[in-house]
Amino acid sequence: MLDLFARNRVATLIAVLFVAYAAIGAVAPGYLSGATASVVISNSLVLMLISLGTMIVILTRNIDVSSGSVLGLSAAVLGLSLNAGVSLPLAIAFCLATGALAGAFNGLMVAYLGIPSIVATLGTLGLYRGIMLVLTGGRWIEDLPQNLKALAGNHGLGFSALTVVVLALVALAWFFLRKTRFGRYFYAVGDNRAAAHHLGVPVRRVQFAAFVATGLCAALAGLVFAAQIGFIPNQAGNGIELKAIAVNVLGGVSLLGGTGSVAGVFAAVIFITSIDSALVFLKIPAYWNDFIAGAILLSVLLLDGRIRQIIDRRIRARRYAVHERGPAQPADTTKARIVEAGR
Amino acid sequence: MTGSPAAGRVAKLTDIWKSYGAVPVLKGVSITLQAGEVHALLGGNGAGKSSLMKIMSGVIPANSGAIEINGRALTHASPAHAQDLGLYLVPQEAHILPNQSVLENICLGLAASPRALRPRVEQLVTELSVSLDLDAQAAALEIAERQIVEILRGLVRDARVLILDEPTSALTPFETNALFQRVRKLQAQGVGIFFISHKLREIREICGTISVLRDGVIVLSGPLDSYSDAEIIDAMSRVQITAASGKDRTGRKVSQIGRPRLSVRGLSGEGFRNISLDVRAGEILGLAGVVGAGRTEFAETLFGLRPQSAGSVVFDGEELKKRSPRVCIDRGLVYLPEDRQQHGLFLEAPLFWNVSSYLVHRLPFFLRPGAERKTFDDFRASMGIKCTGPGQEAHGLSGGNQQKVLLAKCLSARPKVLILDEPTRGVDVAARNDIYDIIRKLAAEGVAIVLISSDFDEIEQLADRVEVMAFGQSGGELTDDISVDAIARLAFGASEARHA
Repeated sequence: MLDLFARNRVATLIAVLFVAYAAIGAVAPGYLSGATASVVISNSLVLMLISLGTMIVILTRNIDVSSGSVLGLSAAVLGLSLNAGVSLPLAIAFCLATGALAGAFNGLMVAYLGIPSIVATLGTLGLYRGIMLVLTGGRWIEDLPQNLKALAGNHGLGFSALTVVVLALVALAWFFLRKTRFGRYFYAVGDNRAAAHHLGVPVRRVQFAAFVATGLCAALAGLVFAAQIGFIPNQAGNGIELKAIAVNVLGGVSLLGGTGSVAGVFAAVIFITSIDSALVFLKIPAYWNDFIAGAILLSVLLLDGRIRQIIDRRIRARRYAVHERGPAQPADTTKARIVEAGR
Repeated sequence: MTGSPAAGRVAKLTDIWKSYGAVPVLKGVSITLQAGEVHALLGGNGAGKSSLMKIMSGVIPANSGAIEINGRALTHASPAHAQDLGLYLVPQEAHILPNQSVLENICLGLAASPRALRPRVEQLVTELSVSLDLDAQAAALEIAERQIVEILRGLVRDARVLILDEPTSALTPFETNALFQRVRKLQAQGVGIFFISHKLREIREICGTISVLRDGVIVLSGPLDSYSDAEIIDAMSRVQITAASGKDRTGRKVSQIGRPRLSVRGLSGEGFRNISLDVRAGEILGLAGVVGAGRTEFAETLFGLRPQSAGSVVFDGEELKKRSPRVCIDRGLVYLPEDRQQHGLFLEAPLFWNVSSYLVHRLPFFLRPGAERKTFDDFRASMGIKCTGPGQEAHGLSGGNQQKVLLAKCLSARPKVLILDEPTRGVDVAARNDIYDIIRKLAAEGVAIVLISSDFDEIEQLADRVEVMAFGQSGGELTDDISVDAIARLAFGASEARHA
């Protein structure tokens, strides 16, 4: 049982999530409904995209703290183009291109110029926000056309077109990282960069690609943001990169790179977003949100850490138990030892 | 070997030059490898050996010169390119992806999926006669198993040229034998192998050809049989080296050995049980055994790094019940760890910090770097540490010099009992002899020394008395007849019997 939870952060998270849902449902009847699910999903889209992008970069043992600014910048490009009369598809293309370009610049600095990712993206965190402000002249972008807002509108089943796109992207990311060779490279680069290089993995290209993917995700998040809110404030996306990093940690993505799954990030995003909506139902004032989210994050991590320690101790005991059996060694001692060590 | 279009030639390097900044490390090296040839490559630290290997395997580019593998030119420096041409470098320190499975580790970078390659890997594992759980997480692998993963990587890639960089430094004799059998099999299949090692005995056993590098030039090359050990060692080092075999206890008589400094009774802990031993002042006690015999675990338990489950440790007549590294260092029980990169040195810190780090809790609140530098300079002079100065960072030093710095760090604590865990692992012949001299001198000064080594030659040369550990237990003691054979019988014979 413990093993299952330790090996599988997603399982832990989903278990906690279900317990929490059951508790809230008991206290506040009416919470567990299709309407809530629809709200939670649509509220989670922006964080989902940013977290997904951040995860890809973290997998390769880098970090990107500029995605909030990329969100803002690409949303600004989208809004300005639309308000200048550019057609919606073309404006979306501009928006995504902005994100890709911003990500590519991050990737260039980290992968090819050797600047540590935290430094490089701290720099662009300010730079991209600055470019956004220069473009907008410090004003909010309002009066966005109706066809953009319609993208966030519900279609029949309670899902918007954007929800479908984001969920498809999540599925695609899962497939890519789990089932393709190039996806495996992202894990390899983060796990041991020297080893990956040694085995012919194009380390730099993988790192670069991760940043471009993150930029694209952030741009898409900018699009979702603009469509959902209907206007673009200057501080759009401000601070979301830190929330995304917290989500990644909660979802079992190691900040040291090399481990983590899309499913974990997905569950963590739903978890965090559910907290917000649950508080509304429980009639707890909204200013408690951050406190409760932080407390829950810490509790889950502490619990997880304890479980891991117990398991490590068990593995250690099992590994050395071979020597406690007394002088009469079984004939297959070496093999047993190696098998034990491999557990 | 001029220009003959030998079909049997699998690798040819012509006039390779390489310099780092203004410092030339390779000055026109040419070397040829035939199919089915096991070619020993020797050289001291800084001779350019590792640069040559890195250039061959595409890790770094050469300044000039041509590299031909399997008749095709290595056009740009990329490990993938070199592997495509059929060359695989098995590095000394295995490159492991700790979060991936063993199978994924072996198959990474190949076009086929791990699942498709599984039968082939399983077959290779059987042929190499090792037990390896392909589904285990690689983080749990021990050093020897990691090495095997690297060798399997090379084999699964069907390499025609293999470079084995000190492949046996972490292997047990049993595993070494299995490796050599595999090497002979590869040889029969026409694979060419560069075999890098500091152990002449192994080179004699497996290699047919030898090349010796010194200061970036090949100073000796040809069939191994035509050179004596002395000639090879001479070629490797300009410094005249005292004969590397035979007993040498100069300036020290067994009668000078004094009272027991350290008595261990029935100590049990993680990976070993019921070990008892005594070390007296001025004595070098060899603690022999194969990798995995529990010697490092024993030493770490002595030093308070691991919990003990039974037994007692008496140091200078006083029982040390609650041991921690701090307590041990303050009493004068000092441990030199096996893995200098991971546990020994602060690689990014200046050398004098490294040396004073053992006593960092005794430094004054306001540091006196001048005194620390002076301490380092004293050690530098007495041990012959080659560096640019006390402020140089430790990662810039060669393996042998790093090991000397580590030793200096231990000596700064003025040990009464010094536990040395594999003090010459990955160290070239010249530096190894320096370290042997230092160990002998320490013993002559009355330090009790526990020498843990898997190199039985080393134990034979240095130890006054030998305790052998096998499978976590005491395997026997040798007092008079200390010979490689006798040690091997105890260390390895016991485990052989258990294999049967």
